[in-house]
Amino acid sequence: MMLLATVFSKTVLDRWRGVTIGVVSLAALLYFGMVVYQDIDLSIYTSLPPAFESLIGIGENADVASLAYNAIYSSYGAIILAGIAIAMGSAFIAGEERKGTIGVLLGNPRSRTQVLLAKTAAMIVMMGLGGLVLWGVGLATPAALDVSIEGMDVTAFTLHLVVGTLFYGFLALAIGSWTGKTGVASGVSAGVLAVSFFAVGILPIIEGGEDWARVFPWYYFAGSDPLMNGVNWGHLAILGAASLALFLVAFVGVNRRDLRSKSTGVSLLDTLRANPITARVTEKLAGGARVSRIWVKAASEHQGLLFVVSGLMFFVMGVLMGPIYSVIEDAVVEFGVGFPEELLALFGGGDLSTPEGYFQIESFGLVTPIALMVVTITMGAKALAGEEENRTMGILLANPVRRSAVVTEKLAAMVLYGVTVGIVVFAGTSAGNWISSLGMSYANIAATAALATLIGLLFGALALLVGAVTGRTRFAIFIPVGAALFFHTMNALASLTDAWWGRLSPFYYYLGSDPLNNGMAWGDAAILLGVTALLVALAYPAFNQRDLRQTG
Amino acid sequence: MSDQIALHTEALTKHYGEVKALVDLDLDVRPGEVFGFLGPNGAGKTTMIRTVMDEIRPTSGHARILGMDCHDQSVEIRRHIGYLPSDLSLYPNLTGKDTLTYFANLRGGVDWSYVDVLAERLGAELGKKVGDLSSGNRQKVGVIQAFMNRPQLLIMDEPSNGLDPLVQREFQAMMREIVAEGASVFLSSHTLSEVQRVADRVGIIRHGHLIARESVASLRSKGMRSVELELASIPNPDVFRSIDGVRDVTAENHRVQLSYEGKMAELLRKVAEHYDVVDISTQEADLEEIFLAYYHDERNGAAAQTASR
Repeated sequence: MMLLATVFSKTVLDRWRGVTIGVVSLAALLYFGMVVYQDIDLSIYTSLPPAFESLIGIGENADVASLAYNAIYSSYGAIILAGIAIAMGSAFIAGEERKGTIGVLLGNPRSRTQVLLAKTAAMIVMMGLGGLVLWGVGLATPAALDVSIEGMDVTAFTLHLVVGTLFYGFLALAIGSWTGKTGVASGVSAGVLAVSFFAVGILPIIEGGEDWARVFPWYYFAGSDPLMNGVNWGHLAILGAASLALFLVAFVGVNRRDLRSKSTGVSLLDTLRANPITARVTEKLAGGARVSRIWVKAASEHQGLLFVVSGLMFFVMGVLMGPIYSVIEDAVVEFGVGFPEELLALFGGGDLSTPEGYFQIESFGLVTPIALMVVTITMGAKALAGEEENRTMGILLANPVRRSAVVTEKLAAMVLYGVTVGIVVFAGTSAGNWISSLGMSYANIAATAALATLIGLLFGALALLVGAVTGRTRFAIFIPVGAALFFHTMNALASLTDAWWGRLSPFYYYLGSDPLNNGMAWGDAAILLGVTALLVALAYPAFNQRDLRQTG
Repeated sequence: MSDQIALHTEALTKHYGEVKALVDLDLDVRPGEVFGFLGPNGAGKTTMIRTVMDEIRPTSGHARILGMDCHDQSVEIRRHIGYLPSDLSLYPNLTGKDTLTYFANLRGGVDWSYVDVLAERLGAELGKKVGDLSSGNRQKVGVIQAFMNRPQLLIMDEPSNGLDPLVQREFQAMMREIVAEGASVFLSSHTLSEVQRVADRVGIIRHGHLIARESVASLRSKGMRSVELELASIPNPDVFRSIDGVRDVTAENHRVQLSYEGKMAELLRKVAEHYDVVDISTQEADLEEIFLAYYHDERNGAAAQTASR
């Protein structure tokens, strides 16, 4: 019992910060959202065609509270909570294997099953507590602001939110327990999350697509509109049963296989190097080359990430978006609604009845900056803090290289990859544009992709700076991600009322000039570049003057 | 260049907030010697090394390597030294060969035939990924990278960790060889037998204070011996503890074991006053006993001020 309680409480101690940060920022965003929605004229919402509700996640009885709940809790909230659950689920078994600590843990007189149970219990309790806080804030905020929530079931809504996002934690747990690989567990789960989020948004718009949406777990979280219609026990039962099934998969998975000792993955390169036929060529091309310089090595470490993100951006968000737009264009024209631009601000703004507006909402508003930031923030955070936490910075700096040279080369790798993703976004969008003859200006696509690259680099530079100051990857990831979330929402809400403070957000300088329609805004680009340069400039002295950390 | 003091520290001090990790450390490592830096875990050995490597910056005092300032000229210094950090971490996805290539490139190239010789002597597996190596085999990669640029000063923090005894011997021989060629080695360790075997001089550090700094030979010449006596009757250990120069007394049945510093005749005369001596065996004390003696003195004497942290 002791160890079980210990595994439980250690898991809680390891994880409470992430959950708290996520929940507190959501609570702040909800408050912020309700304040802004109070100030704007909501009559525009009543004229919306119902088909678009699902796409933009806004219910038909639009009022202050439901707009805020849906905009903040259902989109950001669900993604953040699901992300936290995935992080926990993939770390529990697979994470301990990767760190090589599972041997010590199981050296204690407790079975694998008991450890799995204790950790799962911790995940459920943490997510439940997070949900409880969101529920309390969800009730307290409208009360404090004197906003009516009549007819809304906040309890049912948060219950759906917690159960709906816990599912992804169980998915990650099952995959991690079965394979012992954190990367596979979190990658696949995040992929399922992203695909189902978009599928449930897009499918109902297409004729006959509604039924297909039922295939995706997201449907059982949001499909019944629990805020308006109360708890849908049938849907919750389906999510619960699926989660239980995944837990059983995890249970069997972790008990049946050999645990991995701390070890490395086998990449394609390793296979080629091991094969005597290809060994010599590979060695020449890749083996020695990737360690020729610090920046080359830094780049080679993240090539997997680059391939995945680039592939996704090129095919799904670029090439495929053209034909998808062709399919739903008819629906848009049929309704013949001129969309109020303000409405779509949260999704980057834009008019759905034009291809530019569609691409802005579906790709450039949210997904493209996220894709870029996944690459730049990861690389920026790992650049300095990563080497310190892996305790290789000492031996790296035992060579005759300046600390500032390390900063410069790692920065170069990040810029190279950011620009690469930017080019891929341009190429993919252009291909989609060409295939479906949407008639968008290629120069404008290039301008938008360039601005997207700059905003990605800005937050990557922030990650680099935080890493240079603190030497901790955790901070170097959380702070830029939190800042991006904050500034994105700030810009979106400010654009609704055209408030001056929107200009304090970097995102204003990204899409504020509507570059897909208006082309390059050189002044905005200069501002983004200037802020990025400033962040980088601060990173050098911060890293030069500091004591390196000894352990991670 | 070769008669330059290899490593010189002057009142080197490092505080972490309230914790005084290093206090007024003065020491010199001379050209052509192995300097053993001894101390229990947490005494400040690694802090001292990280300070001279410019990983962390001293609170006060300064350090010079080969006549150059450890902070201002740290990049130039690193061209001439080899470094093996404690609890070595390397890049798990690189092979040993990749790792060495990486560091060689950062150094502007090394003599690969020398690397091959080093790898051969240590029996290192350079084709495998570092992440898949045992800690001993990983340590070999670390040792090779420290030696490979033929450094004038080698700074190594607990280098024998994980190496099996045969490899340790080879590694110690390698240290003696480069010292014979005029280079210097700064060897931090808590393994006394290793230091005894390779070091010319030792410094003993405790709670951040350097409490002794002497040549191994002169430590030995203090005349401390380890003595084992067999007596006709069962002895009372307190009798032995009261004799001048005796310490670390243990008694079991008819046998007494102790360390003794002084004239043997004196000891025998005192013992004979109380007991009949049946048998006696004695040998030169090893560093471990001498070290423990220092540790005892330090603990009994200055303990009040330093132990309070």
